Amino acid sequence: MHIPDGILPAAVCAAGYATTGAATWVSLRKINQQADPRAGIPKASLLTSAFFVASWIHVPVPPTSAHLVLNGLLGATLGYYAFPAILIGLFFQAVMFQHGGLTTLGVNATMMGVPALLSYYIFRLRGLVDQENRVWTAVFGFVAGAVGLGVAALIAMVLLITTIPAHLDVEAERASIYALTTAHVPLMLIEGLFTALVVLFLQRVKPELLEQG
Amino acid sequence: MKRKLLVPLFALLLAVGTTATAFAHGARVAYTINMTVEIQATYDTGEPLAGGQVTVYAPDDPSTPWLTGVCDEEGRFTFTPDPSLPGTWDVQVRQSGHGDIVHIPIGEGMAVTGGGGFTTLQIVLMGACVVWGFAGTALFFARKPAPSPRPEPAEGYRKESA
Repeated sequence: MHIPDGILPAAVCAAGYATTGAATWVSLRKINQQADPRAGIPKASLLTSAFFVASWIHVPVPPTSAHLVLNGLLGATLGYYAFPAILIGLFFQAVMFQHGGLTTLGVNATMMGVPALLSYYIFRLRGLVDQENRVWTAVFGFVAGAVGLGVAALIAMVLLITTIPAHLDVEAERASIYALTTAHVPLMLIEGLFTALVVLFLQRVKPELLEQG
Repeated sequence: MKRKLLVPLFALLLAVGTTATAFAHGARVAYTINMTVEIQATYDTGEPLAGGQVTVYAPDDPSTPWLTGVCDEEGRFTFTPDPSLPGTWDVQVRQSGHGDIVHIPIGEGMAVTGGGGFTTLQIVLMGACVVWGFAGTALFFARKPAPSPRPEPAEGYRKESA
């Protein structure tokens, strides 16, 4: 999921930085419009560390393996804080572990952060049915977590498929990209379940955390 | 006098000439070192990048592939760099959009091994430091505003000073 340096052409990396800049601006603006912009920072900071660590948790999906991303969870629980949180998490992953890269930071942040905002809107839809109902919270949490990851995997697939360099064995590379994307389907279920559990837990112990943002 | 000298001179010449022909029968061993670079590509999990596509870039042209190939089952790939092109050779291994580039100096400043990542202990330690940073940030912003050590000046006092 994290695209490293040297895979994408420079124009795509630049476009990634442009979209990330725009999304960060929108997110920070929305955060600033809240009554207390600093109120969400502790929650965002803790979930950033969860995001930072999650990519070390590998889920074997033969013939390949995928790792947790948790962008859907961040979107559902953090709202607009999710985008800067993911950006910061990705930055530390790239700098500390070369997981992803600095030239592709913009692309990766857009790929995972924009679906996180989508997850936030999906999770907010539960207000249309019954916000207090635990079953609906679980259902929307599951959908938000699964869709956030699924859309990110699709964006990654499209970006990679359309930019395979001609000197490679294009067929082999394409086949392995499809295999990797398919491996994210079981991961969607896992992240959906995880997100549902977390939002249910938050609703029981500290429901006000889910209200804001 | 002169003739007496000529004899040993001729003998000497003959001796040298004989040894020179003897050298022509000797064997000579020349050598060139054919360096083979072996790379091994693994994922963070330690799993080899079997079938990963390898692209080698020579130092004189870092944009055109000098050699392409495929890793074996253990993620290994060997190639022989052209010794007439000293400098940094870049080798990229890629599979399904994942991969890495390793820079191999050939010629001066050559190292026998290189690349590789961190040990598990280093990774855990670095991860723990970053997580602690995030936790600290959370604690900082979660703290309750401390009561001001100095009481606010009374209304009347403020008006007087103004």
